[in-house]
Amino acid sequence: MAFFKLLSTIYSKAAPFPDKIPTGMKPIIRLFYSSIYFGNQISINSSEKLKSGFSPIHKPTGLQKSSYFFVVSWTRWFSSSEDAVLSDPKTSDGMTVDDIVSKKWPILDENDGDWKSHAASIAQSIQLIKKRLQWRKMMVRSEQLSMALEKPDLWNDPIYASRVSREHGRLMGKMREVNGFEQELLELIDLIKLAREENDVELELESISAMLNMRKKAKEKELKALLAGENDPCSCYVEVQAGAGGTESMDWASMVLNMYISWAKRRGYDVMIVDEMHGEIAGIKHATIKVDGEFSFGFAKAEVGVHRLVRISPFDTGKRRHTSFAAVAVIPILGNETSCFQIKESDLRIERFRASGAGGQHVNTTESAVRIVHIPTGISATCQNERSQHQNKAAAMSVLQSRLDQLEMARQAQMNSEHTRSLTDISWGNQIRTYVLHPYRMVKDLRTNYEVSDPDSVLGGDLDGFILSFLSCALDNLEEKDSST
Amino acid sequence: MSRLRLPLLSSASTTLRRRRSPRSSYSSGAVITSSSASHHTPPLKLQSPLFLRPLSHSASPSALLSFRRWAESLARSSAADLTFDGGPSSSELIREISWLLQDATSQDGDTFLLRTDLEDLYRLWRQRIEERRPFQYIVGCQHWRDLVLAVSEGVLIPRPETEEIVNLAARVEGLQDGMWADLGTGSGAIAIAIARMLGENGKVVATDLSEMAVEVAQFNVGRYKLENKVEIRQGSWFEPLQDLQGKLSGLVSNPPYIPSSHIHGLQAEVGRHEPSLALDGGENGTDHLLRLCEGSISSLKPGGFFAFETNGDKQSEQIVDFMTTQWSNSFHDIKIEADFAGIKRFVTGFRR
Repeated sequence: MAFFKLLSTIYSKAAPFPDKIPTGMKPIIRLFYSSIYFGNQISINSSEKLKSGFSPIHKPTGLQKSSYFFVVSWTRWFSSSEDAVLSDPKTSDGMTVDDIVSKKWPILDENDGDWKSHAASIAQSIQLIKKRLQWRKMMVRSEQLSMALEKPDLWNDPIYASRVSREHGRLMGKMREVNGFEQELLELIDLIKLAREENDVELELESISAMLNMRKKAKEKELKALLAGENDPCSCYVEVQAGAGGTESMDWASMVLNMYISWAKRRGYDVMIVDEMHGEIAGIKHATIKVDGEFSFGFAKAEVGVHRLVRISPFDTGKRRHTSFAAVAVIPILGNETSCFQIKESDLRIERFRASGAGGQHVNTTESAVRIVHIPTGISATCQNERSQHQNKAAAMSVLQSRLDQLEMARQAQMNSEHTRSLTDISWGNQIRTYVLHPYRMVKDLRTNYEVSDPDSVLGGDLDGFILSFLSCALDNLEEKDSST
Repeated sequence: MSRLRLPLLSSASTTLRRRRSPRSSYSSGAVITSSSASHHTPPLKLQSPLFLRPLSHSASPSALLSFRRWAESLARSSAADLTFDGGPSSSELIREISWLLQDATSQDGDTFLLRTDLEDLYRLWRQRIEERRPFQYIVGCQHWRDLVLAVSEGVLIPRPETEEIVNLAARVEGLQDGMWADLGTGSGAIAIAIARMLGENGKVVATDLSEMAVEVAQFNVGRYKLENKVEIRQGSWFEPLQDLQGKLSGLVSNPPYIPSSHIHGLQAEVGRHEPSLALDGGENGTDHLLRLCEGSISSLKPGGFFAFETNGDKQSEQIVDFMTTQWSNSFHDIKIEADFAGIKRFVTGFRR
């Protein structure tokens, strides 16, 4: 199993290699290889059935390239444990990723072709990724889920069963990915050592370049590990609400709204304004936008809270300094399968905003807003930016669904005491960031102390620094709490 | 949500040729001329909806932004004058500006491509505010249910209330594979929406007296590729349906129902710009409704369904009264249905 995994991972890493095979050795290796490969096919298939885990799909060209790697250490691959996912991978001389980190090899610039530097950097990334994923918790949880999945009466409750199997699949996928990455690093280290022993310069260079590739990839994986929450991959609604203070704070709310629209566009998300209530003179009282795209919730959730602006108000003829507030809420859009709240048609009251009077042919208006109230909870959603009433109703309905889902998630989290932290995240929350335009210029996040001296770029949507620093900070804090309990 | 979702431009437009109109009073945009118009009547000109015109102009973002600022300030400063007769509020107008730009532009990197020139946008928005020209005529389309329908001067802009007629028809069981009729179809809105929910063998015949309406309806039917399901016929009410006597499974209509005396006091967008042929229902407003009721006796097959939109409350009661006293032998299950504002807007029932 592990061997085939290695082949395919190494092959995928090998793709950028120059398209040549270690010459001279090729014919012998191929012969040797193919006999082993075909000799083992059956047993692999049978173990496939037993484990239903990783499925190897190989292209013949990949086999040629990988054959040398295989010969080097095939004995070990077959002796290594079947459940590689759950055990710490080691090099042939018994070194783990943690060992590499503890050796404290100096980490140099990527362009310095020192393999130890690459290895140390990758090992550090792997540790960080595991920390961010809350690795230990994840292992415990996946074990619990595996046990739940083995119970014979599981499918008596299909909704529960599919939730368990979905979560199990998600966790196992993540763990396999990290373990695979870990193993890949250790195998490359083995290869480099071997290449040195054999004085095979070409192999050494190829392996080092594969390692450099991994190092670059590791940075992406670190980022991805910040977004490992169950709903992080979802699209989301972002809501902005002006605080008290009239036109100045409504103007601030519209600046915040525009900041998120620009941010979302920069990241390549689709943005739609669902609901917008303008101020009398300028700005907005509140607005809801839909940010459509992978991980938009994962990123945007870092923005939940109250945003504070300090500046000389253009709406104050006395040119005095004002402080105003805008609150931001972020709601994931779960999609039909995962929606946890069932809405009954009879619980809804649907209101349309129409001019009073005769209606019908008497009136021509482009106003076709729809407000849907969920009577039992009192939660409502409004949409007036679609161009037909029919579509406003559909859009309002999906906002309502997401709000009720969120309520249900909060309720479940409350029952599940380990998630109490997320309760404060879900509501409008505390003040999180200050934007000062006068007397000096600065944007500072109160949670992370991350700050930027150019408010214009931030208001223009350059938020990633704030978001990433918060996400990593939030996970570090979580880890500290864990260790203290 | 302000993103547009549109069906692709259908092949119907290939049967229509495009040419520049020297006489178009409103816009320099492309014009679609019916090639099927007969020899003795001058060809009608249906202005192509803005969102379907080619992206043949361009503008810098700053030029568009200054248009937007200008349009918004015009909207804010004039809104107070418009609302006295039920005209649009400033926030409605500001939303219309977004939609106008949505229909007229497409972003390509740093420059914006336009479906008409910038000057025309200024002209169009001035018409919106100063002449109270309905927004739907400005952009040449109305979003109605999940449809985007071409509309044009001379054709009633379908109202959101009327969306409900389709829901009423959808609730009827067992008639989905029959022949339906939409009388006074205008843009073809009801006919198209019903045709889309009928069964495989269901069909709709839609009639209108106005040649303009027939042309617009035909264009919309083509855009939704419903040529095989919706047949448009020109003529007054039942006249074009002689061959379908006693064969209709369903009959729907949004006939003119405003009493003649009210026409002058209408909101400027309606009274000054929409066709009185589609609004004026005679002295009591019931002239056409009564003809429809009477005609449905001979046109509907036994068990056939009808739904009519009315001026509301009193007029609906009047029609129901009339049907239950005069023609009680012909109909059953006559009901009044309210619109979303709670006004008794629709009369429905079945042929015995």
